[in-house]
Amino acid sequence: MAPSTTVADLPPSSTTDSFNSSAAAEENDIRPFFVLHKASSGSKSTATVKAKRRIESPSPKLAKRSEIESAGEEEGGHFFSTLRFKVFETVWSKIDNTIQGVLRDSNSKVFSGIHDWIWESFESIRSSGALSLSEAVRSYPVLSQPSSKQLFTALVLTRNLEMVDDLSTFEDLGSHLKSQGCHVAKLSSTDFSAKNGVGGCLRGLLRQFVMPTVDVADVTILASWYRESGNDKNPVVVIVDDTERCSGSVLSELILILSEWAVKVPVFIIMGVSTAHDAPRKILSASALQRLCATRFTLSSPAERMDAVLEAVFLKPCSGFTVSHKVALCMRSYFLCQDGTLTSFVKTLKIACLQHFSLEPLSIMLEHFCQDNQLPGEGTALLTEATMKHAFDLPSVTRNKITRSTCEMLPQFLLDLQRMPNPWCIVVLCIYEAGKFDKLRLLDIFCETLDPEARYLKYFSPPAILNSQSNVSGRTSVIRRVLRKLRDLSPAQLSSLLKSWERLTAEFSEINDKVMELHPFMRTVEAAGQRPGIPTSPKKHASRSNSKLEKELKAMTDKISAVIEFMLREYMKPVETVPFHEILCFKNVDKLQSALLGDPRSRIQSDLLESHNILHCMCCSQRGTTLLPSMHDTSILYMLAQEHAEVINLHDWYQSFKTILSPRNSKAKTTLKSKKRKDRCEEPEAPAEASIQARFCRAVMELQIAGLIRMPSKRRPDFVQRAAFST
Amino acid sequence: MTREESSKVTRRSTRFSSSSVTVENPEPNPSHHPPTVSDLTFGEESITLDALLSNFPGRRSQILDLVRLIGPLDSPALPVIAYGDASTGKTSVVLQVFRHLNRPFVYSSCRTCCTPRILFESILNQLLLHRKCSSNGYASAKRCDKPSDFVNLLREALSNVVETLKSTKLERKSSMGKMVYLVVDHVDLIKDWDKGAMILQFLFGLYSVLKMPQLGIVLISGLSPDVYYSNVGYTDPLPVYFPEYSEEELRQIFLKNQVNKKLYSAFLDVVLRPLCRVTRRVEELSTTFSSLFRKYCEPLDDLAISPNEDLKRRLYSNLKPHITSCLNEIFRVSSRPHDGDTRGERRQKASYSCEKGEQLEMLDFHMSTSAKYLLIAAFLASRNPATLDASMFDSTGGMDNRKRKRKASEKSMEKKEMAEQEAVMKGPGSFPLERLLAIFQCIASVGDSSFGDDAEEEGEEEATGYDKESNNMMSDILLQVSSLCDANFIIKSGSCPLEGSIRYRSMVSEDLSLKVARSLSFPLSKYLYRR
Repeated sequence: MAPSTTVADLPPSSTTDSFNSSAAAEENDIRPFFVLHKASSGSKSTATVKAKRRIESPSPKLAKRSEIESAGEEEGGHFFSTLRFKVFETVWSKIDNTIQGVLRDSNSKVFSGIHDWIWESFESIRSSGALSLSEAVRSYPVLSQPSSKQLFTALVLTRNLEMVDDLSTFEDLGSHLKSQGCHVAKLSSTDFSAKNGVGGCLRGLLRQFVMPTVDVADVTILASWYRESGNDKNPVVVIVDDTERCSGSVLSELILILSEWAVKVPVFIIMGVSTAHDAPRKILSASALQRLCATRFTLSSPAERMDAVLEAVFLKPCSGFTVSHKVALCMRSYFLCQDGTLTSFVKTLKIACLQHFSLEPLSIMLEHFCQDNQLPGEGTALLTEATMKHAFDLPSVTRNKITRSTCEMLPQFLLDLQRMPNPWCIVVLCIYEAGKFDKLRLLDIFCETLDPEARYLKYFSPPAILNSQSNVSGRTSVIRRVLRKLRDLSPAQLSSLLKSWERLTAEFSEINDKVMELHPFMRTVEAAGQRPGIPTSPKKHASRSNSKLEKELKAMTDKISAVIEFMLREYMKPVETVPFHEILCFKNVDKLQSALLGDPRSRIQSDLLESHNILHCMCCSQRGTTLLPSMHDTSILYMLAQEHAEVINLHDWYQSFKTILSPRNSKAKTTLKSKKRKDRCEEPEAPAEASIQARFCRAVMELQIAGLIRMPSKRRPDFVQRAAFST
Repeated sequence: MTREESSKVTRRSTRFSSSSVTVENPEPNPSHHPPTVSDLTFGEESITLDALLSNFPGRRSQILDLVRLIGPLDSPALPVIAYGDASTGKTSVVLQVFRHLNRPFVYSSCRTCCTPRILFESILNQLLLHRKCSSNGYASAKRCDKPSDFVNLLREALSNVVETLKSTKLERKSSMGKMVYLVVDHVDLIKDWDKGAMILQFLFGLYSVLKMPQLGIVLISGLSPDVYYSNVGYTDPLPVYFPEYSEEELRQIFLKNQVNKKLYSAFLDVVLRPLCRVTRRVEELSTTFSSLFRKYCEPLDDLAISPNEDLKRRLYSNLKPHITSCLNEIFRVSSRPHDGDTRGERRQKASYSCEKGEQLEMLDFHMSTSAKYLLIAAFLASRNPATLDASMFDSTGGMDNRKRKRKASEKSMEKKEMAEQEAVMKGPGSFPLERLLAIFQCIASVGDSSFGDDAEEEGEEEATGYDKESNNMMSDILLQVSSLCDANFIIKSGSCPLEGSIRYRSMVSEDLSLKVARSLSFPLSKYLYRR
């Protein structure tokens, strides 16, 4: 739900035709609250967004920016917005390709493992003796060892509750195996529905293996096909990607059938298991489990993949696009708390990227970062007067007191910007390397080191360290943990850390020198470590040399933490402290958050309470807290409902609704004589009872469809229940 | 139709030559070898009765019964039903009996043929000597959906086959008789088909409906024939019961094909008795034995060795720990799985061993924080009585629940025990979605407050970051509920008769929920009733 609302939330001031069309497409989607949309049709789409912005982010900075944008748009902004969109596409395709590449690499080891396993088992089956044709296709089982009914099964643990990430993984696995010669069919949980039974999934198998027109779910077809034209030189692989979601009885039945034919058609089942490895135990029947000869394969966890993606996208040279500290925090918490899938993380990244390009006129410069490392002249040629003005109005520029002295200064700054992240990335990677001993996640390190105020530096002052020792529990700072862990490292770990640092800093001489300086110390530590020699040496001797070793180690770790501090102090300039960083860096966390978490329900509620802000009608503009008959019915009813507790008496509700709709003067008379009121029905200001009832029903229905109230139950026919309370 | 005719013609013309071709030699090109009637027999060399009897220890009386019931050559036979528990040798015995008798038969398993249509067509295909291949589009010889069509087609096909058999008889010395037998395996599965009862009745009545003495019918069933009988008036098939193997018979079966009989018999001495108490199915035992025997032989260099008493004792002490684990596995096998032990030893030893250590305290798959809280909420909602919710999670954050809990636990022991037993019988309780969400909000807010304390110390900005986090926690919670449902952690269980809303039930074991709670450092046991 949340991501789908994102495109519609794009700011109207910068929307080009392409943006608008996608927003329009979103409008036409049928939603649970479609009725409400329809009620407030017209210039709604832009109006809502404007209203929303006014409510959500009244920050002056943003307002200023939109002013600038609107100014820019007057001078042929159309050209720039299409250009920006084009640049976005190149940048995003670059990021996307990088991510795909990283994911492919992360899986390749497991894939080749599965492939080896299949061929090994296949050879062992083939070596046990070939079957003749008539043996292989006849209907009764081959009578040999009772254990011949075993089906080789791979349990691929995806280690993520959500399956989204792994759909493509299994797709890749299928094509990988296919390219190696296996016959591959892929079934998903939709094929294993209880409604279609085992026939459905068998038919699916046959259609993928044999030919697409098969409509009889007969395994004998599979057997005859397998014996034809050299098909039997290769194993048959069936991939079931989401085992937990399958109907257990159907899957068990398929396993039983395939195991009956296992000798004639050597089938390998690959089952994707998203939770614990004993998940098949929970869904399959005992007799089916009996037939499985299972092997376990483990894919890398989402957190590991996430780290690899982060490293490739933000820390290695990729597109130049980056995010601010707050945005990174937001993305991290969304990943950890909401939806721990890489897919949604990539989606978040894409939203951030798209919003960056739609908000920041100077983002076109990113194209040059993306293509090569030189800034060609034509890039600056594109900068018109307006954009130049905008560039020098950026907060980072004004903060650093860079005045607009010359236009030539800008390319220089941009070059700096281009070079800037390099030492930063190296430092982050170094810390990540040190954090690996404590199983720290790059995601956490990344988020912390992006902090523009560099609060992590305070852990280097002595009192902070003392303080940190007392407070061990809870979510501590990453850098602090790295420093603490350093003290527990063995000499071997320290030397491997140094080696990896040396490798990382190879291109950056300033840090590299510092690292190289550590080597002699390391050698003495190693020497001290080696002196005790055999661990079974006499006790007192060992203790003496151990104490010496400890001393050396202590000195060594102090040196290393000094180097870390040096790196952090000197080279860790977070992106946000650099002038002109707005060109590269997406900072608007509120936009991203509202795009991610559409929160449609509270949106509906607040819109209903403030319907005037959306409708912009003249009639009820000057209302205070009073309800006016000119307001929208649904809105009136919802506001009335606010006065009630959990249940609302329908009659009372209707009466108060009627009171509001009928004008005050007539109301006074109706209390006197109810019969006279009916005569006044023709008056325009007093609507008929029937029409009030109809409007009431309609409004209640809309509230129900929006999920705000629940219809009367059989037990209490006079009451509706409120399902949603104040936001 | 035409295709079938032509195939018949070729069959006749090549019958002579093809009968000389032994079935053992695989044909280089299948299309050159049209199947003949002789393919309807078992195919391999027929075996003598003695060999048959020695092949199946403990099945002597069943084999003799079957041979007697099927009767001598060309004598009409009443339908026979062979029944008994799984893995007692029904199918093998029946097939080998036909191999011994060397008579043509048609075999169809209701396991493989999962609908009546496939069952009928598979029988007809075999009778018509039709083989599915790419040239005929893997189609059946005849399309046949209804039992009535099947009877007509069957009669037609049968008379054809019998004609051929008669003519073959003149040409060949070793006769196959002029009867065809129909073997239908796994008849009990038909009960679960839709309209299964009708098909079953039809199968049982087929003999009397068809009125063709040339067809003998053998049904194989896992259930006793009493299950199928209804008063429709067909002749009951003659039953042959296959009982479970005794321990001695199992020993003979497992010793049959062993290379080193002495070693294996020493192995069986050790394992057979304990495992027999758990299961007597040959299939289950053989998979367990194969892995156990590998372990048993591990210390041995020479597998041809004949062990003395001392060696036996040493091998036993080596194996002993594995037997108990296998016992447990097998014990679960009868209801649950078995794949645990074969899995660990195959591959990825490194990851297995490291996970084994961590498994106890760590969760080995990723869940988002809100999904974890939801899981715990569902667990609580299933375990705790709904009446206790108010005291557990009241507006003060559920911190004063200790007192109440103690009160509850001070009840008399008997009553408590009774209630405990009742709870075990009932299993996890069901709950409406609203209750789940309410508990979720309560426990998530408690969890967040501990988050917040930490964040404050970190500094202002981070604290705000986490505030947002807790606000957002609720946003797409229904999505999380559905993904938990997908993973079988929560299942939908019926609807409340009064309100008509769907109720849910948590299927999570206590271990898993404790693991999840630990990963959040959430005090689950504090909230658990009677803990």
